[in-house]
Amino acid sequence: MSHIFPKSANKLPLQIIIFVLVLVGVVTAATTYYATPKYTRIGYAPVQPVPFSHALHAGQLGIDCRYCHVGVDKGATSTVPTAQTCMNCHNQILPDSPALAPVRESFASGDPIKWVKVHQVPDYVYFNHAVHVNRGISCVECHGKVNEMEVVRHEKPLSMGFCLDCHRDPASHVRPLDQITNLNWTPAQASEHAKWAQDFVKNNHITPPQSCTGCHR
Amino acid sequence: MKRKVVHPEPSPSEQLNGPKYWRSLDEMAATPGFQEHLQREFPEGASELQGVDRRHFFKLMAASFALGGVGLAAGCRRPEAHILPYGKSVEGVVPGLPLYFATAMPIRKSAVPVLAETHQGRPTKLEGNPSYAPYGGGTNAFVQASVLDLYDPDRATTHTLGGRAATVAAVQDKLSGIGRAYTDSQGEGLAFLAEESGSPTREALVRRLKAKFPRAIWAEYEPVRETPPAAAAQAVFGRNVQPHYQFAKAKRILSLDADFFHAEAASLYYSREFAKGRKVTSVKDEMNRLYVAESAFTLTGGMADHRLRLATSHMLGLAAAIAAQITGDSAFAPLAQGLDFKDKDKWIAACAEDLRSHRGQSLVVAGAHLPAEVHAIAYAINVALGNVGQTIDFLEVPASDAASIGDLANAIKAGSVKTLVVFGGNPVYNAPADLDWASLQKSVGEVIRYGYYVDETSQLASAHIAATHYLESWGDARTADGTIVAVQPMILPLFNGLTDIEVLARIAGEATTDPYTLVHQTITGLAGGDEAAFRKFLHDGLLAGSGYPKVSVSLSAGGLSRLLNTTPRYPALSKDNLEVRFTTDQKVDDGRFANNGWLQECPDPITKIAWDNAILISPALARELGVYPGGTALQVARVETAEFEVGKEKAHLAELTLNGRTITGPLHIQPGLSNYTIVVPLGYGRTVSGRVGKGQGFNAYPIRTSDAPAFAVGASLKVTDQRYLLANTQEHWSMEGRDIVREANFDEYLKNPGFVDEIGTESHSPAIYGADNTPTNDNKLSREERAKLNATRATTLPRGGSLYKTPEFNGVHQWGMVVDLNTCIGCNACIIACQAENNIPIVGKDQVLRGREMHWIRLDRYYSDGKAEGAAFGGPGNKEIPEDPQVSLQPVACLHCETAPCETVCPVNATVHDEEGLNAMAYNRCIGTRYCANNCPYKVRRFNFFDWNKRQLDQLYMGPLGESGMPELVKMVKNPDVTVRMRGVMEKCTYCVQRIQQAKIAQKVKAKDSGDVKVPDGTIKVACQQACPVDGVYFGDITDPNSEVSKAKAREQDYSLLGYLNTRPRTTYLGKLRNPNPQMPDYAAIKTPFSRQEYENKNHPSHGDHGHGHDAHGHSHGAPATHEHGHTSLQNLQRIGGLS
Repeated sequence: MSHIFPKSANKLPLQIIIFVLVLVGVVTAATTYYATPKYTRIGYAPVQPVPFSHALHAGQLGIDCRYCHVGVDKGATSTVPTAQTCMNCHNQILPDSPALAPVRESFASGDPIKWVKVHQVPDYVYFNHAVHVNRGISCVECHGKVNEMEVVRHEKPLSMGFCLDCHRDPASHVRPLDQITNLNWTPAQASEHAKWAQDFVKNNHITPPQSCTGCHR
Repeated sequence: MKRKVVHPEPSPSEQLNGPKYWRSLDEMAATPGFQEHLQREFPEGASELQGVDRRHFFKLMAASFALGGVGLAAGCRRPEAHILPYGKSVEGVVPGLPLYFATAMPIRKSAVPVLAETHQGRPTKLEGNPSYAPYGGGTNAFVQASVLDLYDPDRATTHTLGGRAATVAAVQDKLSGIGRAYTDSQGEGLAFLAEESGSPTREALVRRLKAKFPRAIWAEYEPVRETPPAAAAQAVFGRNVQPHYQFAKAKRILSLDADFFHAEAASLYYSREFAKGRKVTSVKDEMNRLYVAESAFTLTGGMADHRLRLATSHMLGLAAAIAAQITGDSAFAPLAQGLDFKDKDKWIAACAEDLRSHRGQSLVVAGAHLPAEVHAIAYAINVALGNVGQTIDFLEVPASDAASIGDLANAIKAGSVKTLVVFGGNPVYNAPADLDWASLQKSVGEVIRYGYYVDETSQLASAHIAATHYLESWGDARTADGTIVAVQPMILPLFNGLTDIEVLARIAGEATTDPYTLVHQTITGLAGGDEAAFRKFLHDGLLAGSGYPKVSVSLSAGGLSRLLNTTPRYPALSKDNLEVRFTTDQKVDDGRFANNGWLQECPDPITKIAWDNAILISPALARELGVYPGGTALQVARVETAEFEVGKEKAHLAELTLNGRTITGPLHIQPGLSNYTIVVPLGYGRTVSGRVGKGQGFNAYPIRTSDAPAFAVGASLKVTDQRYLLANTQEHWSMEGRDIVREANFDEYLKNPGFVDEIGTESHSPAIYGADNTPTNDNKLSREERAKLNATRATTLPRGGSLYKTPEFNGVHQWGMVVDLNTCIGCNACIIACQAENNIPIVGKDQVLRGREMHWIRLDRYYSDGKAEGAAFGGPGNKEIPEDPQVSLQPVACLHCETAPCETVCPVNATVHDEEGLNAMAYNRCIGTRYCANNCPYKVRRFNFFDWNKRQLDQLYMGPLGESGMPELVKMVKNPDVTVRMRGVMEKCTYCVQRIQQAKIAQKVKAKDSGDVKVPDGTIKVACQQACPVDGVYFGDITDPNSEVSKAKAREQDYSLLGYLNTRPRTTYLGKLRNPNPQMPDYAAIKTPFSRQEYENKNHPSHGDHGHGHDAHGHSHGAPATHEHGHTSLQNLQRIGGLS
């Protein structure tokens, strides 16, 4: 037989296997790190057509979340407010501000402002705000400290794992219903609150769905 | 940047060393947009842009640019989406929550009141309006499918004048121009051809129009009748009254060719009321009895306890014979001469006796299409039986003074019509053939066509005005009993269409032409000028107490005898002298729904053919024509009704000639037809329709003449040697002696209400829930105890030793469903309702031929005639198609088995069980193995072989090379609460999980910080349940012993389909009952239902030489004495009155 391959070729299969294993490991690690919601979504803070600052309105001025997001305790979506809601104040406050021009235009013409959607779940997931807000989950659990954001930022991964973490352990995330929109609230006493939460979950039959039908229709 | 990095000019050798994408990243980095993006996306990288050395910079930029490029190019990041809120807030609207408004669907002279569910202003689903008690919130298939018509991309989207698109203003001018042009001549030369309407506003407008143009012709035309001819009541009672039947009060009903489940104007009411008399919940209940004499096979005939096959042209004879028996009046006798069928005298005598013994509680109904004489006799019989005011009311209706299309045709022929306005309808397509309407219409100078589609009539018109759909119109209508209902728009006209009352008002030159104002005027006028009443009218959807008044009538013998003063001839029917029966199709009606994909694809309730019509012939005629299927040498199962090749029905094409006119159509053998009557469904063969309707089926209107619109005698069939493929969704029609639909006669039920437990393999196999939990033991408990027992069984795990690890059934509710087979009439409303609610796509005829229809509910229709051969390899009996079968219907959807076979075989766990008993389907997880569908014993899973929504149905196999994209308009009909599935994903009934979740969410929102999370019974109505006009579906929480569904499951008739497989389905069925009359001559044959006889033949064959069949192998059951099982031996059956 003629020598087609050099002797070093004997090591090739082992090298290939090791290479493949390393490659698979790297790709898996890279995907897990870079291509999962925790990386791809957190930090997403797109430029909005109107530079609305939650830090000013919700934080400094103390406007309750539900003043604008009226549908949040009624239906599935939290209903970004209509231009009319903005104009309730801004027909008198900063009525000529150029930054608010899109709002005034929208109110006058009826054409919507094209807000960029920050928090999104896939089309096959059906999330309902009302049932969360009315049963002890505060806005901050999923949206973070919106009252400190100049620009709305995606704070939590909102992956299925993130949802299930809470669905499997609602007691660590509930709070009294009158503190839902108080994003700065912390329990006075951690252990007392833990006990209160356990009772709250038990007495009110808080059984978040853990099977597929809960969110996938 | 601290240091400005300056790049040297590239050396010539560098330039030759391969491509350079950019001279310097600096150049790129310098753009502000990029910097800003970088700033936001990768804070680390951005901040390090200041004061970094070149190599470090490069490393960073390369890595982050690569990833940024990926991100920028939307590789990993999802596409940017937008939220578009309103500019000005809309009162009462919470985006995401549907709003419900009352409206009505007008069809011909009547209307069905509906509640439209609107999402963000667009209607997506229609439900019945429960405020209108007679229909009780039920709907039919037409109503459910009408929402798709609103979003039909083939609807007329522009007005055209003289073939060119016109603006609304131009059209309005044109209309008022017509009015002005004919004012002086008082309408001489102006003619209208309108479809019928029950709208009081239109009626008032027409009156004003006629007053302004007294010499104009106002003609109305509908191709089909759904109310009895006025001449009958006029002759017999001297008044213009219509009968309104009260089926709930009738214990004995005789139908003379009357399909009151479908073809009468008040069919929804009649079905509902009939079901009330039919429902048997305990042995204390009574059950009505239905005799049907008909020539075609209708759903009413399917429900009959005694069914007589009789040609429609002979119905007069039958009516007269019955009348002679009941009234004793010999004047009827001459009309009955020539009537002949098997056991005629005994049949008529027994039937008449049964009716007579139920005076005031019986009912004789004649089909609307029958001539006035038959109706007159039917009225006379009802009067003689004392039914008037009990089971039959007479409502005074205003006489119609509209001209007929024949009169209009004569006027056009005489040349006296200069302008013709065609209001709706489609006369070029469906006018009687003898008028030759197409050439008549062409001869008129100016034809204005007002219509929803550009259709055959529009092609021959000089102007087309786009009509609005009823969901975008203001109007009013009347239900069949005259109650005025509101037609209010859910959405502004999508294509600037005009409402019919607006068009009329403009032609009439009225001051008010706004349809809302016109309706407002009418209603406030009727309600006494009360604004509050108008608001209530819009809210409720109806004006209470506005129905036609009930009047008392008295029979005029003279009038009756004058009408019957004819000598009827009943021509002998034969192969060469056939009777043709023209029927309105169950799906496309008279052709108006031809472009509605949902209706076209819905299988016909009896023939199960989708996308086509066929000439239906009886098995006897098929034999004579030589198209009887030969079957196979070894006929193990019953022979099919046609030749099927790989599931596709190869029908013979035949030429049907009637009075010199010929059409061609495929032949389909229909068991149960009168021997020499052929049934020809109307409404197909459209030549100018949309992408769905064009070219489907054959057109039967060309042989239909004005003297014989419903049936005609004298046809002949000539079979050609060509074949045509029919998409038949149910190839096999026999249960083959299996216990799929469990039936018993009413008298057996009274003696043994638990009869279902003695049929089927479960009666022989070990008990599903353990040795002591046999159905017999269960039946010993009271109903309440049984309901409680069911509740505990729903949450406990199956009997030990099972390899199946079921999920814990520890949810707050446990969902279950019961379908009452005794009530189901087979109307298909549930199928379309499910399709509308769950975004089920249509697949087109080609795919239905391959068996890929997507309906989640499958309505099985079985024929049985007792002749299924019991032997293992069949026999000669299997080669016969039933001539006089009994029909058993069974809707099957996913039964949500507690131990579902589909769940264990999914490789990716896409189908799992949830804690409340639902078998869930996670579409995003499914990879399309289809093992679950393979494993399902009920075959209720549907696979998306193609992307039905995105791809054109005639280009599916071209894949990405074909056109893609759903028209924007059609997307609007999709229900936003249900995922739209893509190619490669399995789907099935979900127990309307979106409705369940919404109800649970609503309950939890209401509960807030209390524990009241259980949804009250009756809150959730799944789509099929809500649509069912006869309330045949029960759904709810089976852990609640007081819920409707628990009570239904506690009934002794409750059984599981294929229960012996231990799948433990949550949907169970209630056995069907029949109520034959022991005095009738055919009673001997139907002492037990045919399917039961076939079951006994197959499972307990009488082979005398083996000794008593069952005792010989009784001990192999490994259980105590045979009777403990409760299985039925032949002896038992004979004891109860089974086989003779």
